[in-house]
Amino acid sequence: MTRAREVDGHRYDVIVVGAGMAGTLVAKRLGDQGWRVLVLEAGTKTLNTWPGHLDAMNTFYSSLIKVPNAPYRANTAAPSPSVLDTLPAKDGHGYRSVGYLVQDGPLPYGTDYLRADGGTGMHWLGLTPRMLPQDFKVRTEFGYGRDWPIGYDDLQHYYCEAEREIGVAGDTAEQAEAIGLPFPEGYVFPMHEIPSSYLDRVLARELDGKSVLDRYTQQQVELQVVNTPHGRNSTPNQAYDGGRGFRPESAAGLPNYGERCVGNSSCTPICPVQAKYNPLKTQERWNRKVTLVDRAVVSRVLVADNGRITGVEYQAYDDPGTPVATTHTVEADIVVVAAHAIETARLLLASEVANSSDQVGRNLMDHPVMLTWGLMPGQIGPFRGPGSTSGFEKFRMGDSRKKHAPWRLVIANWGWTWAAGSPGSDVADLLGIPDSPFKPRGKAVYGNQLRERLGDRIGRQVAFQFELEQDAQPGNRVTIDPRYRDALGNCRPILNYDLSDHVKKGMRAALDVSHQIFQLLGADERTAYPSDAPSYFQYDGAGYTFQGAGHGCGTHVMGDHRHNSVVDQWQRSWDHANLYLVGCGSMPSIGTSNPSLTMAALALRSVEKIHHDLMDLHRPLVLRPTPVPGYAQPREA
Amino acid sequence: MTTGVPLTPTALASAAMPEAPPPALPDRDVERFVELSVALTGFDAFDLHGTGMARFYLRTVLDQIGDQPYHDFETALEQAGLDPEKLQGEVAQDLARAIAHLWYLGVWPPLSATVHAELRRQVANTGFTASPEAYVQGLVWSAFHGHPQGAKAPGFGTWAAPPPGAPELPPPGRHRRQAGDGR
Repeated sequence: MTRAREVDGHRYDVIVVGAGMAGTLVAKRLGDQGWRVLVLEAGTKTLNTWPGHLDAMNTFYSSLIKVPNAPYRANTAAPSPSVLDTLPAKDGHGYRSVGYLVQDGPLPYGTDYLRADGGTGMHWLGLTPRMLPQDFKVRTEFGYGRDWPIGYDDLQHYYCEAEREIGVAGDTAEQAEAIGLPFPEGYVFPMHEIPSSYLDRVLARELDGKSVLDRYTQQQVELQVVNTPHGRNSTPNQAYDGGRGFRPESAAGLPNYGERCVGNSSCTPICPVQAKYNPLKTQERWNRKVTLVDRAVVSRVLVADNGRITGVEYQAYDDPGTPVATTHTVEADIVVVAAHAIETARLLLASEVANSSDQVGRNLMDHPVMLTWGLMPGQIGPFRGPGSTSGFEKFRMGDSRKKHAPWRLVIANWGWTWAAGSPGSDVADLLGIPDSPFKPRGKAVYGNQLRERLGDRIGRQVAFQFELEQDAQPGNRVTIDPRYRDALGNCRPILNYDLSDHVKKGMRAALDVSHQIFQLLGADERTAYPSDAPSYFQYDGAGYTFQGAGHGCGTHVMGDHRHNSVVDQWQRSWDHANLYLVGCGSMPSIGTSNPSLTMAALALRSVEKIHHDLMDLHRPLVLRPTPVPGYAQPREA
Repeated sequence: MTTGVPLTPTALASAAMPEAPPPALPDRDVERFVELSVALTGFDAFDLHGTGMARFYLRTVLDQIGDQPYHDFETALEQAGLDPEKLQGEVAQDLARAIAHLWYLGVWPPLSATVHAELRRQVANTGFTASPEAYVQGLVWSAFHGHPQGAKAPGFGTWAAPPPGAPELPPPGRHRRQAGDGR
């Protein structure tokens, strides 16, 4: 095991900042190509042994509120935001933010991430829908947000590669037929689809073929339950890879374990058997060219006078509880920052690099999630299986995007757990226990009546997640201010966040759709948006609340010109030819797809360019005579 | 071992080990606690013993409220004919809520502020998960034929099976249409 201080002053081919999903994949491919790679991780790497994983499981079991970061130990040297940091304002209007993120925008950015080995890839839900071809040109096609400099076709090959690395389970034929996604001829996912939940089946029986009205376009939208691709081990597809099949990856630290999902129903925050992909699985396949150093907080990207990046400065600490750090430097030919959209922006701003466009930190995006919930007429078996196995996909596409933001309508398999804190809140409610010891207690029911009423109520819980596309807005941004620092003296991210009218209008349309769906189901809708909730806002006469999806994107957007974007189509900094910024931060628009798969595809695409750059740097010098003028140059075929 | 603490059970040794486990609770006390808990939870004694948590929960309750208030609660519930809804007095009612909550979720909840004061508790009035295993053994999950999220995984594909009393249903999408086409 290499300690952070031991690499001080060393020189590598590539330094990767951040051992999350993107950084881990980049390191894997470059290591395989023979380059010497140093990966610097700000957090700890306690999770990559089986005892460390079990410790996280116990922390998860013990936590009172099982939020995405609940299983993972707090770290004051490399703090992470928590969704619990956003609280209602004391006067009952708006929010206050009490954690690592400094927030002063109109609406709260209610999304977290994890600074530890494996990064936020440890607690992603594990859904891997591709972006739609039309998602790459929203400005041209629909008049909002920003276009990509590349399209779906440019990513096709890398989507397939990412689906191999992650190990995707799904049904390409259904994805092609129901969503219109193009795949290469004969392509199938590595594994067969994750079976649709019982709730999916009930909804398909009740809703498939029926339609709902979009209030803004006055068009009927057909409902159809479509299985979602997952980064989760399922049954291998023998037809994969031209008949070579696929061997699922086992758990990190425990061979031959976790090769198929067993339905623990806790993908977020933690998959107990690690059937869900996490970056630690890829790290186990790193070769010896790759060195991982944890507890190394990169504090500055170092730049020479000629604009070349020379390496990074990092702070090495030992104890995440009482951080005392020493500062070191390490050099490389190429530096890849893959530290999460917000952390990468923070680091670039603190280093004063890559920002001639003034776009670093801007265009921060997420998928604002509007939850709606109700009680079905009969038992539907909630809290079983992965968090979601299917969705309604037709709201993601088409001309309605000119009128309002599109959304993915996600069917939630875990009852009201996100919407209302079930099942704990149901127990407390029937026992008459309010949310504060100072409030009066209600009448309690006990015994068989308690058991039966809980069974009846929880067993009928249904919830929908409307995950809206957020358009890039320059005002939604990460900044830093030397007055706000963490325990090691690094600047904390300051966020200014709001939703555009395009998104709010999308919520209005979505709420309408939700009402119609509950009506079609004969369900008892229980959706309520309290006006004292942190994210509460009013639009067009109605009140809404929303949650963060954990999909931080867009702080170093790619574009086709250095004046208005931070990176080029290879995620290479326009300002520094040997600096790559890899991650969701590069996305100029995010469609309605959970972004990890697209991020992974982009990372694998960048690897090819990085490899070429390194080959150029290491090419032996060949001296050739100057061509004679007038001599016909051989042309390329 | 270089702590300098003698390994014999002297007064000095126990002073150095304030966290030493208290003596085991007599079986009779645990049995009585389970009887009361049957009335509170609606699960029978077999199920409650089967969680493996009964003795630990009784210890948790005693640690939280003290011996005498617990014995008063026991007496009150017996006098109410083991019907918790007939309990009189805010203290007894709130303890009934808390013990049922502990069984259902593995979480000891905060008591009402007045009850907390009346009991003169020596501990903070905060909620906590009694132990990692307590979460896993919560009764709420079986109340709706589920399993605790993150534990007791029922196996691949089980989430497609109907809950008790509901009919089997075919998967949505392509497969159903194909099945329909092929009759």
